[in-house]
Amino acid sequence: MSVAAGGGGESGVDPKMTAGIGIIGGLIGVYLTPYHPVLGPLLASLGAVCAIIWGADAIARVASYGLGTGVPSIGYMSVAVGAIGVLAGLAGGVMLGNALFGPIMGVILSAILGGVIAIVGKKVIGMKIPVLVTGTMELTAASAISVLGFSAAIAGGIGMEAIATSVVTTGFIGLLFIMNTMAIQHPFNACLGPQENRVRTLKLAASTGFISMAVVGILGGLFTSKGAAITIIGAIAWFIAMRMFLKASKEEAASVAWSGMWPKEEEL
Amino acid sequence: MDPLLMIGAVTVAGVLIGGGVHFLPVGGAPAAIATATGVGTGTAMLAAGSAMTGLITAAAMTGEPLWLILAGGAVGSMLMIGITMMVGNWVYVWGVGTVPASAKVETDPITKYNQEKYVSPGTEGHGIPTVCFVSGIIGGLLGGIGGGLAYWAMYQSLIGIASYATPLKYAGVELVPAAMVAGIFALGLFFVNAVIASYNIGGTIEGFHDPKFKRIPKGALACLIASLVTGLIGVLLIQGGAF
Repeated sequence: MSVAAGGGGESGVDPKMTAGIGIIGGLIGVYLTPYHPVLGPLLASLGAVCAIIWGADAIARVASYGLGTGVPSIGYMSVAVGAIGVLAGLAGGVMLGNALFGPIMGVILSAILGGVIAIVGKKVIGMKIPVLVTGTMELTAASAISVLGFSAAIAGGIGMEAIATSVVTTGFIGLLFIMNTMAIQHPFNACLGPQENRVRTLKLAASTGFISMAVVGILGGLFTSKGAAITIIGAIAWFIAMRMFLKASKEEAASVAWSGMWPKEEEL
Repeated sequence: MDPLLMIGAVTVAGVLIGGGVHFLPVGGAPAAIATATGVGTGTAMLAAGSAMTGLITAAAMTGEPLWLILAGGAVGSMLMIGITMMVGNWVYVWGVGTVPASAKVETDPITKYNQEKYVSPGTEGHGIPTVCFVSGIIGGLLGGIGGGLAYWAMYQSLIGIASYATPLKYAGVELVPAAMVAGIFALGLFFVNAVIASYNIGGTIEGFHDPKFKRIPKGALACLIASLVTGLIGVLLIQGGAF
């Protein structure tokens, strides 16, 4: 079903680099949240955008082999795993008596659950994708950080109490669930094919990440300084990223001038 | 609720969801251009629609006995998948102009109508014939029961914790944190198992008459293992509490 089957092609982006951006940028953003009422949530949402870029690269590496189920399915699965892992990890932080353990535990739990699913997929179902286990683990960890970052930005804190009351109980978690899935899976789903250029895909990932960030700012309260800062910076960054993506697409597109437009029916 | 019982319920729920997906007429991209039988979209989208409807109807039964919650989930999921298939069929019949027919069987196992004559050459069938529709409804039933069971198990576990049971007021509406956490947990479990089952069927399936349906034991085993681990991680939610 997937048009991208074949997989493992050369990528213009080093996987270690995107993983580094996602893990380090994401976790720093999340952990700095409680220290400043405006800059903290802003950094958390920027961290989530870093994680989305990492996730988009990871999904491109896994799905380029052709999953047979389409790119969105693995995106939905990984964000589902991420949401479960984050909630369990944050609750685990409460159990251990220190809220600072919560986020990192959530990411680790998500990666473990992602790894189990990938191993089951390989051993029981017999999927033949060489990077399935590492790719799924990266993808679930990236989804977890993106859910964490946006949740922390809305809640203004990283404790289970803050996130449970202002993100989960209000139902925003359901919106984050779908929005993060779209932000992570859409770039590769839109750019896949034999001429896929990973740099261009990641430019689109930055634009989907930043537009999600703008929406998160609205959820956090558009008329508060925190929400306004996130929305405005997210919207400006989205505009820049989208421009970069459009420019890259135009540069790489085959010009219709080669053969002209297709003839009208009566001319055939 | 005992954590072991919760893990057990979540595992059974996962197997029901994974099994249910094998019954859905998932047509994928070929069906979207009416060259294969089934609804023209992927498993994740069909699961998203029916799972969310099932969870809303199951959650509406919160506080009622278990069988009523399960029935609520099942009815919601069956309705949603039924509506999806029916409206899809309208598009295939009156929009695309094809006859609902399957190339996988010679006669429809339920109506005994001949299929071969109506399959357009070069395609694997089109639309949602009776057998696929019935199979899809069975899939919705199993998936809805599974989703309802996972929701019930998590809700019953969380409602015992004071911080999750205390309603919070938002814009004049009282919301119970336990219901929301249980809802998102059940939704996550639904997606995980739907995608694992979808990997097992290789993306597309027509229903219980499809030769691929024989892979269901493998899919059920895979869902069992994944749901067991999800249940184990869910124990942290119960043990940790919120505050």
